[in-house]
Amino acid sequence: MIDIRISSCNKNYGSLRVLKDINLEIERGEFIVLLGPSGCGKSTLLHIVAGLDRLSSGAIEIGGRDVTDVEPKDRDIAMVFQSYALYPTMSVRSNMEFGLRMRGKPMAEIRPLVEEKARMLHIDHLLDRRPSQLSGGQRQRVAIGRALVRDPKVFLFDEPLSNLDAKLRASMRTEIKKLHQSLGTTAIYVTHDQLEAMTLATRMVVMKAGEIQQVGKPEEVYHRPVNLFVADFLGNPGMNFMKGHLRLDGNRVSADVGAATIPLDGYAFDEKPTDGQAVVVGLRPESVQPATGGEPFSLTLKPTLIEHTGSDNLVVLAMGSEEIVGKFPSDMLPKLGEPVTVGFDLSRLSVFDATTERRI
Amino acid sequence: MRRFLQRHVSQVALSPSLALIAIFLYGFIAYTAAVSTTNSKAFPRFDNFVGLEQYWRLFHTPRWHVAFTNMFLFGGLFLLVTISLGLLIAILIDQRIRAESFFRSIVMYPMAMSFVVTGIIWQWLLNPTLGIEVMVHQLGFESFRLDWLTNPNTVIWALVVAAFWQGCGLVMALFLAGLRGIDEDIWKAAAVDGIPAWRVYVFIVIPMLAPVFLTVVVLLSLSIVRAFDLVVALTNGGPGVSSDLPSVFMFDMAFRRTNLGLSAASAVVMLGTVLAILIPYLYVETRERA
Ligand SMILES: Nc1ncnc2c1ncn2[C@@H]1O[C@H](COP(=O)(O)OP(=O)(O)OP(=O)(O)O)[C@@H](O)[C@H]1O
Ligand SMILES: [Mg+2]
Repeated sequence: MIDIRISSCNKNYGSLRVLKDINLEIERGEFIVLLGPSGCGKSTLLHIVAGLDRLSSGAIEIGGRDVTDVEPKDRDIAMVFQSYALYPTMSVRSNMEFGLRMRGKPMAEIRPLVEEKARMLHIDHLLDRRPSQLSGGQRQRVAIGRALVRDPKVFLFDEPLSNLDAKLRASMRTEIKKLHQSLGTTAIYVTHDQLEAMTLATRMVVMKAGEIQQVGKPEEVYHRPVNLFVADFLGNPGMNFMKGHLRLDGNRVSADVGAATIPLDGYAFDEKPTDGQAVVVGLRPESVQPATGGEPFSLTLKPTLIEHTGSDNLVVLAMGSEEIVGKFPSDMLPKLGEPVTVGFDLSRLSVFDATTERRI
Repeated sequence: MRRFLQRHVSQVALSPSLALIAIFLYGFIAYTAAVSTTNSKAFPRFDNFVGLEQYWRLFHTPRWHVAFTNMFLFGGLFLLVTISLGLLIAILIDQRIRAESFFRSIVMYPMAMSFVVTGIIWQWLLNPTLGIEVMVHQLGFESFRLDWLTNPNTVIWALVVAAFWQGCGLVMALFLAGLRGIDEDIWKAAAVDGIPAWRVYVFIVIPMLAPVFLTVVVLLSLSIVRAFDLVVALTNGGPGVSSDLPSVFMFDMAFRRTNLGLSAASAVVMLGTVLAILIPYLYVETRERA
């Protein structure tokens, strides 16, 4: 069942086109993550769904109802902001109660509800404090609690964790995930942290300059990026790109990338390849591994730099005039300058047309 | 010597002005306090010490009572009117209206004028034979009367209105800056929560402006105690002494009635009033910083 439908939505600020013909359908219970570089229009799209910004053209439906011209308060949504946006002059309790009181819910019902949600978020001992007396993580819990008590149809999150330190961010991320699993409420979550996007999303939406690039399950977007931008944006360290040309030989296809010729027999082409087509072959560092002997394709390359991240070793390998990065297990430590044989996991290859930058 | 200069260049550079402040500010405060314990007439003399007698006389002078009470009456009304209307105007301008800078300039304009000009403008406007009263009569409301300047019971309102006209701009600007400083997300959160704008102002935004209120109250209070030129230009303390303020009283005693001792005593009392306002303010400010 479609819960949110965004149809041909455009947003302009004067001559600046911030959102360009956005179309998106969100099923009930999905956790959609909007991901993209700064300024690409993620917040704007979220604000439009919330009703905080008017759209220039297009329509928004929530729960089967056209809400394009409906006030935020009547859209049955709740929102969590990056800056928390708690009411600083009120206690935590009042912050959580205020929205419900405005909706005319009797105090006798509000009290137990607020206390229940506060217990759920482990902030029940903080109810009588002011926001200024809380830590960042506690404030964000209160902000989430304020959204929870409203029991909305849709949760909107605008980078809720980006003001927290790495450790707290990781634990809050797990909690948000658990919360979504237990409540099953539809959510749209904006972030530019890919780890958050990959772990939280049931589907993610990658945006660039006001346009949707790709929509899909995190694994799908990660392993089958539709263009160079998405391929490059996801992953840390980023995907290896090898420039070259396609060779068609009978019904066998291979990519000549200068230092090597990579066979593409098992590659599922989206478009028909042509001989001599300029391409970029992409392979993620984790698909470049020390060879064990059984690989269909391996190369012997010289390591030029090794970085230890703790869990793995990032090995930079010279490949002709270019370099590629392999993510080796931490017990595999090659010596600088001593050639190693690495195997490529060809099932993880991505091939892009060099001019259109689209996956082929 | 060079070492010393290099290391203390800022102190050395500041020392002349510090010395001037020490002499002309604190020195003369002490000097005034000393004069207030003498029986000086037209010129300060220190050969006739009378202790606190001038203060005793001051508080037995009916005119001082009028002036001192007026200060609180005028001050209270002025604070109330200026803060509430200044805040209201700031809130109106904050609604992202069109031609915002035009309205802002209109409200701020009187600030650029000296109190003497303000006083004279309002003297004309409130003059029953020249100003607003005549205008309303010409509109056909013959029974309209605006005798604030000539009625001892209401003359204080003339001061309040003129001072408000002058001070409103500053207050509005301070509140507007405060309102603009409030996180946009708070407004968005309130919109999603369904809180009507007026409630957001009353329960969330205005309480958040508490530090601005404090600053405004202190600034206005100091201008109340200092108010002198406005009174001289607008009412000259009249009718009778009904719109006298302590500063006018002090000036009169010192330069017209040749009673320097009494004048100095009133100056010291005014200083005490200022300190009574400032010390709690500084206390709150420094405690918040810490
Ligand atoms: N009120 C506005 N007036 C004009 N331009 C705006 C306005 N609000 C946003 N923009 C522009 O719209 C674009 C998208 O902004 P938006 O806030 O949606 O980006 P974002 O993807 O959320 O970025 P970030 O990750 O930095 O939060 C930006 O280029 C921004 O400059
Ligand atoms: Mg944003």
